[in-house]
Amino acid sequence: MSTLRLRGGRLYDPAHGIDGEVCDLGVRDGRIVALHENEPVDREHDVSGMIVMAGGIDLHSHIGGGKVNLARLLLPEDHRPAPRTDNPLELASCGACTPGTLATGYRYAEMGYTAAFEPAMALSNARHAHMEMGDTPILDHGAYVMLGNDELLLEMLAEGGDPALVRDYVGWAINAARAMGVKVVNPGGISAFKFNQRKLDVDEPHVQHRVTPRQVVHALARALTELAVPHPLHIHASNLGVAGNIASTLATIDALEGLRGHLTHVQFHSYGTEGPHKFSSAALALVEAVNAHPNVSIDVGQIIFGQTVTASGDTMTQIRNAALGSPRKWVGADIECDAGCGLVPFRYRDQSYVNALQWVIGLEIFLLANDPWRVVLTTDHPNGGPFTSYPHLIRLLMDKSFRDEQLARLHPEVAAHAALREIRRELTLYEIAIMTRAAPARLLGLADRGHLGVGAAADIAVYREDADREYMFRTPEYVFKDGELVARQGRIVATPVGGTHFVEPGFDGAIEQRIARYAEHHHALDFRNAAIGRDELCTCANGGQLLVTPCAVHGTNGT
Amino acid sequence: MTASPTPTDAPPLPWTCPFCALLCDGVALARGETLELRGSDCPKARQALAQQPADTAAATPTIDGRAASLDEALDAAARLLAGATLPLFAGLATDVAGIRSLYALASARDAILDHLLGDAIMASVRPLQDRGVYYTTLAEVRTRADLIVCFGTRPAERYPEFFRRIAPGEPRRREIVFVGTDTDPAAAGPDTELEAVPFAGDAFDTLALLNALAADRALAAPPPGPLAGLAARLQAARYAVIVWEPGASGAQGALVGEAINRLVGTLNARTRAASLALGGSQGGYTANQVVTWLSGLPLRTGLFRDGLRHDPWALATARVLAGRNADLLLWVSSFDPSATPPAADLPTIILGHAAMPPVAGAPQVFIPVATPGIGAAGHLFRLDGGVVVPLVQARDDGLPTVAAIAGAIAQRLAAPASGAGS
Repeated sequence: MSTLRLRGGRLYDPAHGIDGEVCDLGVRDGRIVALHENEPVDREHDVSGMIVMAGGIDLHSHIGGGKVNLARLLLPEDHRPAPRTDNPLELASCGACTPGTLATGYRYAEMGYTAAFEPAMALSNARHAHMEMGDTPILDHGAYVMLGNDELLLEMLAEGGDPALVRDYVGWAINAARAMGVKVVNPGGISAFKFNQRKLDVDEPHVQHRVTPRQVVHALARALTELAVPHPLHIHASNLGVAGNIASTLATIDALEGLRGHLTHVQFHSYGTEGPHKFSSAALALVEAVNAHPNVSIDVGQIIFGQTVTASGDTMTQIRNAALGSPRKWVGADIECDAGCGLVPFRYRDQSYVNALQWVIGLEIFLLANDPWRVVLTTDHPNGGPFTSYPHLIRLLMDKSFRDEQLARLHPEVAAHAALREIRRELTLYEIAIMTRAAPARLLGLADRGHLGVGAAADIAVYREDADREYMFRTPEYVFKDGELVARQGRIVATPVGGTHFVEPGFDGAIEQRIARYAEHHHALDFRNAAIGRDELCTCANGGQLLVTPCAVHGTNGT
Repeated sequence: MTASPTPTDAPPLPWTCPFCALLCDGVALARGETLELRGSDCPKARQALAQQPADTAAATPTIDGRAASLDEALDAAARLLAGATLPLFAGLATDVAGIRSLYALASARDAILDHLLGDAIMASVRPLQDRGVYYTTLAEVRTRADLIVCFGTRPAERYPEFFRRIAPGEPRRREIVFVGTDTDPAAAGPDTELEAVPFAGDAFDTLALLNALAADRALAAPPPGPLAGLAARLQAARYAVIVWEPGASGAQGALVGEAINRLVGTLNARTRAASLALGGSQGGYTANQVVTWLSGLPLRTGLFRDGLRHDPWALATARVLAGRNADLLLWVSSFDPSATPPAADLPTIILGHAAMPPVAGAPQVFIPVATPGIGAAGHLFRLDGGVVVPLVQARDDGLPTVAAIAGAIAQRLAAPASGAGS
């Protein structure tokens, strides 16, 4: 048994409505407990004057799997120079926009994050994804399996889409891949591109299966509702990056028909066609729709100026973006009749009208949305920028004058006309704690993470108060993972293996016959190897804890 | 270390073959005194199975050729590593767990990492790093391809089950064209048309012409008819797949890959096409994937004290040894007993196949290890990149895994009490 007390910190724990209250925090055996004031403890840290929050949770970050590794292969120059740290606890690992898994774990933990979720795990690549996540030290992790471009589901929908069949298939796929949820990427579009279709709007039919993205989104959202999977359908909507795509985004919200859905990296989906460049911010329209639809949550996918690489399952979009890439090279793939993958290096430039406006749109979404419980802070790492830029992003959101300084440096037309200039809102520590911990935990159904209540996992970040929020959030004073001190003032002091979050929804096993038949005719893996067992997951994930979130009746819209 | 043979009347074990990167998993093994393949006539698998010793009791660790206990061998290996300042970890023919474990050791000892098929692996990695690639996977080829071009390779020669693995599951017409080789009867099948198109000049000339024709560029002289016909069919195909083999494409294989990737890119502007590079056997793609995700950089990376450095040319095993840029060789080869370490006048640690013949020369520690998929379960990456196939243990032959050995050596290095601490 080991006990720990953090004495005198200011707690920000939105799940319990605690907004800066000075309070001791007790930990026993990795869990938060109520300790009597005088109870002796093994370790005590005086954190008076410091800010105490639950560990950060990134619910959308491309940290593991085939496409991330291809991005690393594609950009050796991103990894130069690659100094090694003087810390003997850190194994050699490098990279800026797609660091090695080891560096990914170290850098996340140093900033007070204790969990990250890979949003785009291909069913056929699930073992690989779990392996990479298992080799991401310290962080707990999980992944959403990509469905909606798998030929089998599209075939089922083309046959009429019997909801019971779709539900059982989705339930099987989640269990087979050991996933935490389901993501749909350009619904139907990745498959359509394999048939040489270059564009697919929400109500346009797939050239082969004659199914529309609207049908795909609705069928998947319904299946997840019936399976009682806590995380709503994770949706990368149609027409990413296209001017005027706000119409597709709103149509996608409409396709949910009130069912829960999480629209991811909405910045890339909130573009209008106004103005001289026929490219404008539709942040307001997006936010109004989100405000009006309590069934919808979002993460932003803020862009950060500089070099990165976009990593996406959306081949239909990436082949279009390839011409805009910098450096000019790219990787694409058609994968196993269930997915695709496209990697295009990007350099976001503040003097580019389009990039400057993208930056503005992301911030406008953050600052206009009225319910932080349905807004999650992301850069869609690495697509908008690397996760290491979160402290900078937090400062942009919390500090109007800093934001204005940055805005003034942008492409002059954007700097002069952006609605962002007039937005005075500065997010509070309480709101940041919601968007980076409490809301993602709730949207994932993690009952014992993202908060500081008794019984929660003792994943805790302690920040030294500083007016420069970027500095403050970059280097927490202490970071604890399951009660163990893992980082101290930006230096890793322990590297435990993180656990794997997943769900195990029930389904009618009869569906396996249909899947096996399909696999026999189309796949290249024996059906016997299609699903990952629990023991195998443990091996893949490097021996970390298996963290099962129950699928039970849950509240609507994550509140 | 004694084998425990399973009675011959036991039902065949559903098995995954680890002996080439196709990783066929729809087959089975009958397990008696010998291991016999069921459900496939693959000559490669049969030969590899025949090389598995029926009894591994004779496979003991050795130190400078003399039999030693495992503990003695581990101590000796740790001492050699502790005394090295520039170790080269090569061969790396093992599974995911093996590479994971070796990586921690490599990081602690500032080692260079390369694979025994490193030249072939770099021939596909380098064009990707320079220009990118659009590739496809086996299930896509099976389901979608109406034109398959085998460029400069007869895939079944090194991947005997290749054409069976990509055979359509339902009747579908398709063409398989062999460029620069004869047609391969192994590719024959219902509704399949086979054709051979000769090179026009060498592989590079041929690809240059195909690239020009596919892009509708004017040519100075009319191209050979068969090649023009092939270009037209590539442009007309619904889903064309260009299969090539980096390891059989010569010293400038990376340039063949680059030209193929360019051709695929041109075709993808109007229709659909993708490439498929055959390679990655002996855990080659596995080593490259795992090293890439852990370090951020592919094979042929040195985890040097002053920083990680990737150099696909200078950090090749042969060049490192020729330049005397290593003072210790750790050679890992757990699939093929004939994959012995290159001649090097260096202290050498071999984690090798139990049937590997003794290697003469320098101070040396040999530790026999289990073959993943025979003596141990494991995971390997298939040749099309992203699919990880689980391997099952065929029999308990008492041999330790590479992962276990690397872990035990690392433990000795970390514990100063053993006297081997660095």
